[in-house]
Amino acid sequence: MTVGVNSETTQDPGPIPVTVLTGYLGAGKTTLLNRILSEQHGRKYAVVINEFGELGVDNDLVVDTDEEVFEMNNGCVCCTVRGDLIRIVGGLMKRRERFDGIIIETTGLANPAPVAQTFFIDEGVRARTKLDAIVTVVDAKHVLARLADSHEAEDQIAFADVIVLNKTDLVSAEELDAVEARLCQINRFAVIHRTERAALPIAQVLNQGAFDLARVLEREPDFLEDDAHEHNDDVTSVSFEVSQPIDPEKFNAWIGALLADKGPDLLRTKGILSYQNEDRRFAFQAVHMIADGDYIGPWKQGEKRVSRIVFIGRNLNRPQLRRGFESCQAAS
Amino acid sequence: MSEATEARFAVETRGHSRDLNAFVVEAGFDRSGRVLAFALGDGTLRLVDPLAPASWHESPVHDGAVLALAAHPLEGFVSGGDDGRIKHLGADRVVRELGAYGMKWVEQVATFPGEKGVIAGAVGKVVHLFDAAGRKLKELAHPSTVTGLAFDAKGKRVAASHYNGASLWFVAAKSDSPRVLEWKGSHIGIALHPEGEAVVTAMQENALHGWALPDGKHMRMSGYPGKTRALSFSRNGKWLATSGADAMVLWPFFGGGPMGKAPMELAGGDGVLCTDVAFHPREEVVAGGFADGLVVLADVGSSRILPIVAPGHGPVSALTWSPTGTHLAIGTEQGYAAVVDLSKR
Repeated sequence: MTVGVNSETTQDPGPIPVTVLTGYLGAGKTTLLNRILSEQHGRKYAVVINEFGELGVDNDLVVDTDEEVFEMNNGCVCCTVRGDLIRIVGGLMKRRERFDGIIIETTGLANPAPVAQTFFIDEGVRARTKLDAIVTVVDAKHVLARLADSHEAEDQIAFADVIVLNKTDLVSAEELDAVEARLCQINRFAVIHRTERAALPIAQVLNQGAFDLARVLEREPDFLEDDAHEHNDDVTSVSFEVSQPIDPEKFNAWIGALLADKGPDLLRTKGILSYQNEDRRFAFQAVHMIADGDYIGPWKQGEKRVSRIVFIGRNLNRPQLRRGFESCQAAS
Repeated sequence: MSEATEARFAVETRGHSRDLNAFVVEAGFDRSGRVLAFALGDGTLRLVDPLAPASWHESPVHDGAVLALAAHPLEGFVSGGDDGRIKHLGADRVVRELGAYGMKWVEQVATFPGEKGVIAGAVGKVVHLFDAAGRKLKELAHPSTVTGLAFDAKGKRVAASHYNGASLWFVAAKSDSPRVLEWKGSHIGIALHPEGEAVVTAMQENALHGWALPDGKHMRMSGYPGKTRALSFSRNGKWLATSGADAMVLWPFFGGGPMGKAPMELAGGDGVLCTDVAFHPREEVVAGGFADGLVVLADVGSSRILPIVAPGHGPVSALTWSPTGTHLAIGTEQGYAAVVDLSKR
């Protein structure tokens, strides 16, 4: 009397993309979220919020949570994780209806690191979801003042893959350019969209594949590099490129020691590496000390095999980082 | 030879199975053992008589997924859901609401049986206690979200796991202050020793932590490749069976154990993660479910293995014995459900 389950007919929909929405109080996060949820896009999103009451959209997949950050007992001082998200992702996977993505709104004062690290550290979360992008909403009028008085505002910009530069109607064109220049100084690898009332096509926010590193690194603008050693508390971003193949052992030894030593200052590290005797691209990324890497498909025919690495953080010693990365090249 | 055609798996000769087409979150028998409920990710409880498993009843209980299930102290079942509600499905199959908590999920429920029984439901940081008639008794507040709930064998105390340890409350105390058992980190599940000799929690870092009672001495049990989601003591508390490794891992709580003693490993060797365990309520026999859908019974004394369900139904997510241990209920993430009659014939 057995009614069997044919496991072959059960389609694995693949990991569910997760969008993290950060931004200082009043920047326009909730406006953006309401836009995403009310736009007729035929997709279904689970939304995790913690400032219940502001959301004007009726959605049965809204989850109210308290941001519960804890430190992992793994000897890593900056390794903090959102335990509530681990539970919520596990719970959402039990529902029968499938959804197209998860959107996590953080509180205005939140440091994005624990959210991002959750998606690296927890095995269950890693198996079922993938971090798609960190989207930071910025108030064009007030962001410079916020940056002057809070680390969190700076961290949120540093972590961003996409910056929604909102309330552009409240500042002059010159002020707006100054704000954008400041944002680029902190994080020149994020895509910036200028908006009024957080109005932008949701295709510019969701399903960015921003953690598909290839895309991020491809769109890195050219810039003049000076080898000045940044010696202040401001967040900056640097990148390096080498054309010789990388020796994986040398790279692992170098990056391991670097993250262990400078992890608290290194907010995000991303790289696409051409390993010696390997036809696939290796993608590497880290949030503080928590690192992850995997092969992501082959180099294209005729594509120049260069290895690039990006650091976003504080107290970045550019010459030292450059020398370190260059020393990972395989002896030819 | 007729023996050659004998089924290898007990579910084929002594069981009944069904595809319920939704994630089986938990399975449970009511106090009489005559009704078996499967709690599903589609918000329903599916009821079946384990002695006549051909006819099934479907009760829509939650709007969303059922997240927790326990036998009601008197009759029927108590459940919690991601609709923020605690509900009682009676033997009359009528659903009554015990509490509604907005958008907060009810992820844990636990009960203690009898007329003076107690119902506990965790909603975020707060555990709500009700009597068997559904009257609210009190609220117990914790420093962070409650991730596991368990009553002791006498129903006098209820234990809750959370960040940085566990809290042990006296249910009937006039003034509510818990015994706080501290250990830094995220504790994600809890079990109480049936003789009250220990509290054990599962941790985020693929390890267990324990406190011997009453002295509170720490115990650490580590070495798991995965997270431990199931903790199950044997009837007398001699063994604690756990999931999270590629075998059932049993810690000895006797002869000075578990500290300094190696655990017993049962039904291992395939490299497949054990996802659920359930000790028989009377015998030293433990059921284990694995990530490939395999379910086995293991006799602790002889280490003999009896195969129950073949692999191929998805990770085992629910495993429960009837109160007297005559039937074993099984559920998987892919919606496979089974009940096997293991009584002597």
